[in-house]
Amino acid sequence: MKNKLMLTGVIIIILLILAAVFAPKIAKYDPTYINIKEALLPPSEEHLMGTDMLGRDLFSRMLFGSRIALTIGIVAVGLAAVIGVALGSIAGYFGGKIDSVIMRFADIMLCFPAFFLILAVIAVVGPSIFNIMIIIGLTSWMGMARLIRAEILTLKTRDYVLCSRVLGASNFFIITKHLIPNGIGPVLVSFVFGVAGAILMEAGLSFLGLGVQPPDPSWGNILMEGKAVLGVGWWVILFPGLAILITVLAFNLLGEGLRDALNPRIK
Amino acid sequence: METCPRSNNETCPRPTRGDAFVVGNIGDARTLIPILASDSPSSYIVALVFSGLVKYDTNVELTGDLAESWDIEDEGLAIVFHLRKNVRWHDGHPFTAEDVKFTYEKLIDPAVPTPYGGDFKMIDRLEIPDAFTVKVIYKEPFSPGLTSWHMPIMPKHLLENESFVTTKFARAPVGTGPYKFKRWKSGERIDLVANEDYFEHAPYIDRYIYRVIPDQATLFLELETEGIDLMSLEPIQFKKLTDTRFFKKRFKKFKYPFFGYTYMAYNLKDEKFKDKRVRQALNYAVNKQELIEGVLFGLGRISAGQFVPESWAYNEDVKPYPFDPEKAKTVLAECGWQDTDGDDWIDKDGKNFEFTILTNQGNDMRLKTAEIIQRRLKDIGIKVDIRVLEWAVFINEFVDKKRFEAIMMGWGLGREPDCFDIFHSSKTGPGEFNFVSYSNPELDALLVAGRRTFDKEKRKQIYHKVQKILYDDQPYMFLYVPDSLVAVHSRFENVKPSAIGIGYNFIDWWVPKAKQRYRY
Repeated sequence: MKNKLMLTGVIIIILLILAAVFAPKIAKYDPTYINIKEALLPPSEEHLMGTDMLGRDLFSRMLFGSRIALTIGIVAVGLAAVIGVALGSIAGYFGGKIDSVIMRFADIMLCFPAFFLILAVIAVVGPSIFNIMIIIGLTSWMGMARLIRAEILTLKTRDYVLCSRVLGASNFFIITKHLIPNGIGPVLVSFVFGVAGAILMEAGLSFLGLGVQPPDPSWGNILMEGKAVLGVGWWVILFPGLAILITVLAFNLLGEGLRDALNPRIK
Repeated sequence: METCPRSNNETCPRPTRGDAFVVGNIGDARTLIPILASDSPSSYIVALVFSGLVKYDTNVELTGDLAESWDIEDEGLAIVFHLRKNVRWHDGHPFTAEDVKFTYEKLIDPAVPTPYGGDFKMIDRLEIPDAFTVKVIYKEPFSPGLTSWHMPIMPKHLLENESFVTTKFARAPVGTGPYKFKRWKSGERIDLVANEDYFEHAPYIDRYIYRVIPDQATLFLELETEGIDLMSLEPIQFKKLTDTRFFKKRFKKFKYPFFGYTYMAYNLKDEKFKDKRVRQALNYAVNKQELIEGVLFGLGRISAGQFVPESWAYNEDVKPYPFDPEKAKTVLAECGWQDTDGDDWIDKDGKNFEFTILTNQGNDMRLKTAEIIQRRLKDIGIKVDIRVLEWAVFINEFVDKKRFEAIMMGWGLGREPDCFDIFHSSKTGPGEFNFVSYSNPELDALLVAGRRTFDKEKRKQIYHKVQKILYDDQPYMFLYVPDSLVAVHSRFENVKPSAIGIGYNFIDWWVPKAKQRYRY
């Protein structure tokens, strides 16, 4: 049963990735082409998802929006994973003062409500796709750092690590060749959940107008426009809402499947 | 009652007292000290609690408020106001010329952070020969002077020993207006009660309640459930969401001209925008009619400069730039902007023509406008980015410090056409209104002459020229004049929008006994 759910998630994600990669091929219209005369047309054969308030084709905008959502999700969490794994493994391996400093810093970072921290930073540096990826990455590595540290704390006492050290391996070699590969499982799971979180975060920021800036379409800013025309054009709010829901669900299904697969106790 | 809506064999209904009027708005007031209140929520409340010396009537002519009459002396150098007698502050203390003098002194006091001091610094001295006469002597003839006395007058006996920065008066004001302040729950509501002793007549509606609902969509839901009696509608709400039977039964919609316009301002210190031909070309490239249809749903008109068509200063001969992208390209090419490297963006001296439009968060219409402009300028090879900023950051960090290339904003205007503060070259300091750094000696001279002239016909000529020069110079891309759109609950009688808005005769609004919804 679990596997079927995970498979559903994987299929949805693959479809999404294909849609994002081939967006320019699939989309019939330029997602930023404005035609006031065709504003707020309901879904039809011409416009599969209708048009928005400025007469732009919603289906094309959704396709290009999926590129932004996936890029931000994967790059931002990728960055978080790199930082988290590096800091977490250093803390776990060396212990002592280094461990205290790094983990207390992580605790401090965790104290800030992430969304508001990001809002404040965006207000200063300005919103752009690049900045959003960096900021989400810099503010969401703490969980992964804790996971990898916990793994390494148990792994570093294993005999093969001791053996490696006796044979004269450097700390760097031990961390990268022995510890990280063996302890990466939980991080992988966290990564997949993180992508879902980052996609939601981007949608939230763009919904407030402080994320992806026009004319680039993002699911969040399409949703924001939809709010203004709710009651006149239900399709403008329905499709981005559904897209976010399905994408986040798919990543969560994959994440849960992975967690079960990597957990020896459940097998 | 001047008009009676009923047929002849029925007796004309007499206004009855009672009920409450609930207004919904997205912002809370900031301060109720009249000379510090510069945001619109504060101004709404201040206008009901306080009175000025003069006010506008429905023909947009000045008439007496706290002043019964006035004389202009010495060819405009002096104004003598004759004040109403027997006016009392809400606490029972009599109103006298001392209060006017006190208000004037505070307006020019450098320690009081008021944005309204400019007009009053033109005054040489203010004398009070007796308790009900005020003589104002200007340094030089100053025609906006009389209008400036619509400034609400503050009570000397309550404020003379108070600091304007810390006084409790800011949250519990006492005035001479038709409504008395009752209470203020921050971020939630402000309650006012009818002033039985108001000098015109006691208002018919017992309470005025101002509710803060910080989201346009929620506000509209609240209106539909009759939780509020009045709100400003967005064009899409006016056009598409309010034609249902349900809505029409409960609310009346009003549309009347707005005194103000939306524009895109250029930073004229920026090399790209220094040539006025470039600015004109950009206006040619933007289809203003498309903005009105797309953003305002047709509820507005193209702006042809600083004045709105309803203003007596408006120059009919100034015609909007037609939408002509080909002409725009030609003019830009004459100025040296051409696509020389084949990347589809026009360039000059190796640099592409690109700039960023800044605008504030929470205003969908401005954002939509910016998006359409972005698209139209792309068509002629100009790359535009849009950046949305939170309001306080937008004003304090970018507009006031002139850190922008272009901004999307709007002006709300008074009926007095004097626009010295916005376009005179001396008004470019930090926080002043000429943030685009516009400077044109010819216009400077006209703006000064406009202030010195009293004859309305002569002033008309001057401001006609002002509008012509400004529209030709295009320090802003003048875009559109939106309509004011309002929904009012249908139980209120005597609601009559006019050239000066909708709330001017609020004390004459009333509700028939049977339809009253609130009891006190």
